[in-house]
Amino acid sequence: MKKILLLMTFALLFLGNVHAQHKYGTRQGTITFNSEAQKETIKATNNTVSAVIDPKTKRVQFAVLIKGFQFKKALMQEHFNENYMESSKFPKATFKGEIVDGDIDFYQIGTYQVQVKGKLTIHGVTKEVTVPATITMSKDGAKANATFEVAVADYGIEIPSMVKDKIAKVITIHVDALLPML
Amino acid sequence: MKKILTFGLLIALLAGIYGYFQWNKPHKDTSKISADVVLDANDLLHAFESDESKANTQYLDKVIKVNGIIKQVENNESGKITLILATDGEMSSITCNFEPPAAKGLTQLRQGQQISIKGLCSGALMDDLMGNTVVLDRCSLAQK
Repeated sequence: MKKILLLMTFALLFLGNVHAQHKYGTRQGTITFNSEAQKETIKATNNTVSAVIDPKTKRVQFAVLIKGFQFKKALMQEHFNENYMESSKFPKATFKGEIVDGDIDFYQIGTYQVQVKGKLTIHGVTKEVTVPATITMSKDGAKANATFEVAVADYGIEIPSMVKDKIAKVITIHVDALLPML
Repeated sequence: MKKILTFGLLIALLAGIYGYFQWNKPHKDTSKISADVVLDANDLLHAFESDESKANTQYLDKVIKVNGIIKQVENNESGKITLILATDGEMSSITCNFEPPAAKGLTQLRQGQQISIKGLCSGALMDDLMGNTVVLDRCSLAQK
């Protein structure tokens, strides 16, 4: 009897420990962006987005390589990298922040609406942003979804007037990532 | 006068054709471009781990042929496939993204297989928790 009790205590301690320490992470997240201008809609996707969520500190981190965005047209991809994002100089975009609003229980299956606040770095320029996001907890892990807008001028990206009806001033960004427990 | 007009028209036509081909030019096909650099998975990763900015100048946009062992085969939606190559660091890897049609038939590849892949280097994602990975895009299988 004593042995069983001891064993159970250990098991509980162990479980508690797992809960306290585990994090959620992936390298296979997806970011898609849309530029909807008067004369043209441009879309690009990147399927190699790294993401980490720490339930204990509620910290959230995302990173993506700019050159990994795939466009339908090779020429657009080239212009995006060379003329606008200068991806050889600034190869990454990152977000580092935390969940600031919304009651989220990482140990309870369900969908949670949260606000994520932190530093978004694009094209070497860092800005403080607050973004609404949805986190869905399931047996597969934490699924993170967010849609937000970014004004290209805020990040020092200049759109020449010649193409201003082809490239939007405000780009819509979709984040979609399933983060299994690490 | 007529000559100048014909000449002008010809120039305009050529410019139009050039523009048309630029607009529709295909993506780089790594299966048809010879590699700029040939490296083992470990060496490629270590180059980024020891000096990321130097490795960026050296390898970004280059066609890299990497030799390694398959750690994982992942199906993305829309027919893309990602092959993860093992490196000596347990968490670290080389991530190789295949677009369709190059991705076709790759699901038959198995963990532990020795493989040679050509791809365009997009950089590295470094993370204390997730480990480091060097990303190659628009990959194709290479002959050894």
